[in-house]
Amino acid sequence: MACLLAAAIPFYPGTAGSADTDALSAGASTVFDETRDAYSLASPAMPAGDRSAFVLGRTMFRQSWVIAPANDSAAGLGPLYNRISCIACHARNGKGHAPDDENGSMRAMLLRLSIPGADRHGGPNPHPAYGDQLNEHGVPGVPGEGIGYLLYEERMETFADGTPLRLRKPSVRFKELAYGALGEDIMVSPRIGPAVYGLGLLEAVPDETLLALQQQAKPDGIRGRVNIVWDSINKKEAIGRFGMKANVATLTEQVANAFNGDLGITTPATPQENCTAVQTDCKKAPSGRASELEHTELSQQDLSATVFYHRTLAVPARRDMDDQQVLRGAQLFRQAHCASCHIPELRTGKEAPLPFLSDQLIRPYTDLLLHDMGEELADGRPDYRATGREWRTPPLWGIGLAKKVSPDAGYLHDGRARTLLEAVMWHGGEASVSREAVRKMSSDDRAALIRYLESI
Amino acid sequence: MHAKHLFRRIFPSLFASALLALCSPHAAAESTPRKVVVMTSYPEEVVTNFEAGFEKAYPGMRVEIIWRRSGDAMNYLQDNPGHIDVYWTPSQRTFARLAKQGAFTRLPVDMEGLPAKVGGYPISDPDLLYAAFEIAGFGFAVNTQRLREKNLPRPRQWTDLAEPQWRDELIFPIPSRAAFAPPLVEILAQGYGWEEGWTLLQRIGGNSRPPDGSAPDDSNSIAKGRVAVAVSLDFFIRSAIDNGAPIDFVYPAVTGYSPAHVAVFKDAPNPEAAKAFAQYVLSSEGQKLLFHPDLLRLPVRPAVYADKPAGYYDPFNAAKVMPYEFDNRRAQERQGLNNALFDVMVTKQHANLREVLDTLARAEQAAGNDSALNTQLDQARKLATRLPITEEQANALSGRFAANFEIDTKPDANAALLREWSEQVARNRREALQIAQRVVKATHDAEDRKP
Repeated sequence: MACLLAAAIPFYPGTAGSADTDALSAGASTVFDETRDAYSLASPAMPAGDRSAFVLGRTMFRQSWVIAPANDSAAGLGPLYNRISCIACHARNGKGHAPDDENGSMRAMLLRLSIPGADRHGGPNPHPAYGDQLNEHGVPGVPGEGIGYLLYEERMETFADGTPLRLRKPSVRFKELAYGALGEDIMVSPRIGPAVYGLGLLEAVPDETLLALQQQAKPDGIRGRVNIVWDSINKKEAIGRFGMKANVATLTEQVANAFNGDLGITTPATPQENCTAVQTDCKKAPSGRASELEHTELSQQDLSATVFYHRTLAVPARRDMDDQQVLRGAQLFRQAHCASCHIPELRTGKEAPLPFLSDQLIRPYTDLLLHDMGEELADGRPDYRATGREWRTPPLWGIGLAKKVSPDAGYLHDGRARTLLEAVMWHGGEASVSREAVRKMSSDDRAALIRYLESI
Repeated sequence: MHAKHLFRRIFPSLFASALLALCSPHAAAESTPRKVVVMTSYPEEVVTNFEAGFEKAYPGMRVEIIWRRSGDAMNYLQDNPGHIDVYWTPSQRTFARLAKQGAFTRLPVDMEGLPAKVGGYPISDPDLLYAAFEIAGFGFAVNTQRLREKNLPRPRQWTDLAEPQWRDELIFPIPSRAAFAPPLVEILAQGYGWEEGWTLLQRIGGNSRPPDGSAPDDSNSIAKGRVAVAVSLDFFIRSAIDNGAPIDFVYPAVTGYSPAHVAVFKDAPNPEAAKAFAQYVLSSEGQKLLFHPDLLRLPVRPAVYADKPAGYYDPFNAAKVMPYEFDNRRAQERQGLNNALFDVMVTKQHANLREVLDTLARAEQAAGNDSALNTQLDQARKLATRLPITEEQANALSGRFAANFEIDTKPDANAALLREWSEQVARNRREALQIAQRVVKATHDAEDRKP
């Protein structure tokens, strides 16, 4: 019955409206929808003939995976895994969240791990026993790696007008570690699941645009640079644009890595099970196969469909653009130099992975570049050229609907911010000037700024 | 194997914790693992909401989900004895089978405020080896926009859907293909009686669009307004309604429910955690989670309907006028037979079913009040929908045919029987068709003879 439910969700292609073109967040791939489905609609520009690929990709994204052996085409979960489906961490294609206290499970977040040094391509150096990610669960006979949990340290931030704001900073703890100690030099980075709409358009932004943005002069010590990463699909170095440290070059790799790292599902792009050399039970555990003709648990067709789904998920249009408070907030956003990194407009290239994603004026509010965000947000875990203090500017499009789509949605890489204002006040490093500008704002102006963000 | 398995799981943890205490700067005070292992086929939205609610209600407790389609649950349980604490899923047949095998302990839950029936429809095991956790209601998803466009009335009862005006404007799911659909056959067969119920099923099935689609497309078709009515389960449709699709859900008086259940395994490795989980999903707090817009299922604890969202259906209130008692055991036993019979009567002979019903309708119109012709048509009507077996024969054959997700253990003998039934049905319908055609011709001849 569960599979029926999954498939029974009606296919609502997004509808392009005829409103002010400034509201078009994603060009022809904008949808005018403010419901809880706002992140779940196909691009209105997607040809009708592509519907089946979108639906198949959605099915894969919603699929609850099963431990092998099983009489089920979705067999192959694990041997080690975090959750059993993609949507567990990306509820309704939106953002994940952090647990509220030390008792809470990481239901929509994970812990990246590494030790000092780099792998042979310059990427993070995985922990010899635990790999590059803590997998809490294991299939029968394979111990889960252990439990990570968060402790929060609270502190009070005060605005210039005396208004206090309570912030919480997480620190990671472990228990029930099954493969020995992590060691003194372990580097840990907690990450909530990111939203997954509009990614095809971000993929279609030319490298040249990012390199030009990197060169562009910016005010107040704001810099920004591209990450150069190993593209494991095309076997070459490339500009990274996906992942919270712009540490992945292509959408296919991002999707395949998530299948493999989070679910333990092998794919044609990641054909090895996610076991480290010392995890002997893991290596002996049975694997699934997508079919008799394929050696991985996810078929090439299903991987391609899942990538297609991500490429074609539309972005909701902006809302309330004529509202006076929103207009005031837009002005403040520019004045505080937020737009220096959260660049409102980009244009996709003439060539794109899908024709209808090409040459689109989009409003993602990101430059896809790495910025030093200060010590408070630092995870201390380098990723290719990204230092432990650097993070990729996250896109803001659709962020105003985040809580409507998923009331638990958190902000920032580790979900520490429960509100947009908290997220703003965590900005440091290159964004310190912007943060201090917000600190000086009156309560009306702060409200206008947030109202503006909510309209995006 | 159980002990060995537990050893394999626990020993590394203990060893690691000792190391951890000595070595790791990130070490926290070690605690005894507190978890419950739950097998389910629920979609992620249900799992996540209950997991979060349970962990909040029982701080420090964690839920480990083993996802398994109900048809494949047995294999896992056989391969991994003593691994699962709780079974929690929508699959009444699997619960019944596991209970019969002695897999469950009597549910260690306070059942105060949790009735075993909704009206005349049983939802929980009488021996309380498993109890209903939520129910989904059968009825009609109605696209109100399509109704207006086609000038169709709002259907209220099953008999409405047997009228010719619903030709190609409704979808009835095929029980052998759609796992949720088999109870529909029994709801009509028990609610209206075997003969009348099956006549209705055939008339409705004849009106249904030709059976080339599957249930999921039905939901899509109704949401898109390609048809006016889809016979369905309410929760398939509710999210579309919630998102503003022009759909109403109508529960006829003769209706039934598809219950999902919860049970605790006798060999649960974490019995206290299992008890807590079962208690939680049936508690007021847990039951209210079912109103969440991602879940939209019907709670089994009547008291929580006091807090239901506006417009939410209350089956306990509706059941006050339910006109029949449903025999669940009989329904379970006859499921495979019903599926096979429905395919013989409707799915595989859809064209001749339609032809004979259409010709009968024309003949009825032509015959008017002519009693001699109507006597012939009575005979034709009976032949058109006559079953190849009586209810007694059906009961005797129950269990011989494979239900959904089961393997046919007598494929050759069953195939021969089905062939025989099909030929008999085809013969009956040919005869009915000839009678109806004769009636039409007789009325035309009479017209021609008029001066």
